[in-house]
Amino acid sequence: MIYTLMYGLTIGAILYFISVGLSLTFGTMRVTNFAHTITYTIGVYLLIALVQQAKVSYLWAAVLSVLAVVPLGYLIERFIIRRLYGESLDYTFIATFAVSLIGVDVVKWMWGVQPKALGDPIRKYVDLVGFPFPVYRLLIVIIAILLFLALQILMKRTMVGKIILAALEDRERVRCLGIKLDKYFSFAFILGSALAALGGVLYAPLTSVHPYMGTTILLLCFAVVIVGGMGNLKGTFLAAFALGMVIAVTARYWPPGAETMVFVVMAIVLMLRPIDV
Amino acid sequence: MRPAKKETVNGRAFPSTGGVAGKPAGRQAERPGSRDVLEFLIIGGCFVALAPLLRAHRVTDFMIFCIFTLSFDLLYGYMGRLSFGHLLFLGAGAYGAGLFLRHVTSNPLLAILLGMSVACLLAMIVGLVTVRATGACFALINLAFNQTGWFLVMSPLRKVTGGQDGFGVEAARLGWIDFGDAAFRFWFVLVILLLMFFLLKRLMRSPYGILVRSIKEDETRVRFLGYNTYLYKWITFVISASVAGLSGALTALNYGYVNPNTMDVHKNVGAVFACLIGGAGHLYGALVGGVVYMIISNFLPVYIRRWEMFLGAALLVVVFRFRRGIWGSLEPCLSRAAAGGRLRTPPDKGALVK
Repeated sequence: MIYTLMYGLTIGAILYFISVGLSLTFGTMRVTNFAHTITYTIGVYLLIALVQQAKVSYLWAAVLSVLAVVPLGYLIERFIIRRLYGESLDYTFIATFAVSLIGVDVVKWMWGVQPKALGDPIRKYVDLVGFPFPVYRLLIVIIAILLFLALQILMKRTMVGKIILAALEDRERVRCLGIKLDKYFSFAFILGSALAALGGVLYAPLTSVHPYMGTTILLLCFAVVIVGGMGNLKGTFLAAFALGMVIAVTARYWPPGAETMVFVVMAIVLMLRPIDV
Repeated sequence: MRPAKKETVNGRAFPSTGGVAGKPAGRQAERPGSRDVLEFLIIGGCFVALAPLLRAHRVTDFMIFCIFTLSFDLLYGYMGRLSFGHLLFLGAGAYGAGLFLRHVTSNPLLAILLGMSVACLLAMIVGLVTVRATGACFALINLAFNQTGWFLVMSPLRKVTGGQDGFGVEAARLGWIDFGDAAFRFWFVLVILLLMFFLLKRLMRSPYGILVRSIKEDETRVRFLGYNTYLYKWITFVISASVAGLSGALTALNYGYVNPNTMDVHKNVGAVFACLIGGAGHLYGALVGGVVYMIISNFLPVYIRRWEMFLGAALLVVVFRFRRGIWGSLEPCLSRAAAGGRLRTPPDKGALVK
């Protein structure tokens, strides 16, 4: 049981890293961003290249690959997302999906389609109420909680965060105050992309890495964002862990249904409270 | 992206504005035959002409995809609801027809009907939920249903559906109806395609079709006019899904096997691309787009290994620069030529719907 709990928390933490960016992008810019997978997947592949080919230590490789993804996020924001402000959601959907299509193909081109694996970088176990549990998974959960607190501080205490938070509520009114929102939107987008890459980098050692990994997890993350409420950061945090637990519990009793249960939850939430966009 | 036949539509609704090129409004109603026959000959002729160029079995594929694109266009182009899970109904049709052939009787025509009705029934149930949503929500909830369907086929129903491997399908021979014969399949699918095209065109010209297009433009206003938009959206969803199911049943018969690839979520982008490149909201556009997409996806991988990259780039170009699509750009010129240059282009033609 404690395994299921911890497994759920780990999955929830990973989902949280990736969903935050989606939630921010949607809340501020009203763009449903399928291209989010790209930073995630490319971050993971950079990490693998650094660790396995350049023999960089895992920690430095992780930092480097997250940093390397930042300019990519900027480029996507500058040339694709910025041109989609105020467009109907169909077009943003299709355009960002096209970007993700290109990105997946680039990954296939550079690194091939074979799944890769990366071992647990810590390989230590900690005693949890009598069960040995991998430290690495525990670390991921702790980082996720720290990230949540850091984001709360960023949003509530700094000017940048306050403006983004205000834009989540009412963009037009913030614009009327004479604040140039584009800059803050770019910041939110790039932050989200970097966090997605961070999630990928942390998750990579626990799973097999292949070019389509982003698409699979992105669908789950859309479910998280919908269940938590688009643009609602606290809701996203809670929803990520709740859905992580759903996955873990289903995986324990009925393994093949694990990911589908998330969609069932999402469908129920959408039925009860449709998004009005 | 405005509907092409706007002037006819207006001509009918308000006869005082006059019909096409000064002729009385409601011309279509008086002489339904001649123009339809001409269109049939042109469309059928195009596909028959393609057959020797690209091999007949491939063109059969193209036509089945075109039927699917027509159904997708009904939903996306006409009603303005982008679905990312429309392949669920294609899969339902394919599995319905395939399982019927395998376990009940090997009559292919009955199997096609059954495949359609399975998709139709499924859409009736799924539609109750999904139709309430709009925009991103609609796309995502359909995606969720598609994922669920895929999962059902892959895991709990594995004993019935064969899981990942799928199963083979064999249709019996009924007189001259022989699905083992590639030439028969070609002509059969061609006839079905033309029939579907005709029915959907009729439907979209009817008051119902006008209402569906109005829902795309401004649903709230239609509701305030006293129409039950929920019902109309549900009906459109069911019709669209049934046509998709028909194309699924044909896929099963054409390939002789059914496997979960028929309902792979990733393939949905093909239908979106076909609709957009052809010009969403035109039935001809759906046909043109379907053929263009099939040519790209069949032949480009042979020459370029990274064809998905090309597809993505093409989608971006279409979204940013070419929203009217091929047919949407051609259509004004064609209709002007057909009217002998007397037809005035309506001022809103080509205005982008935001």
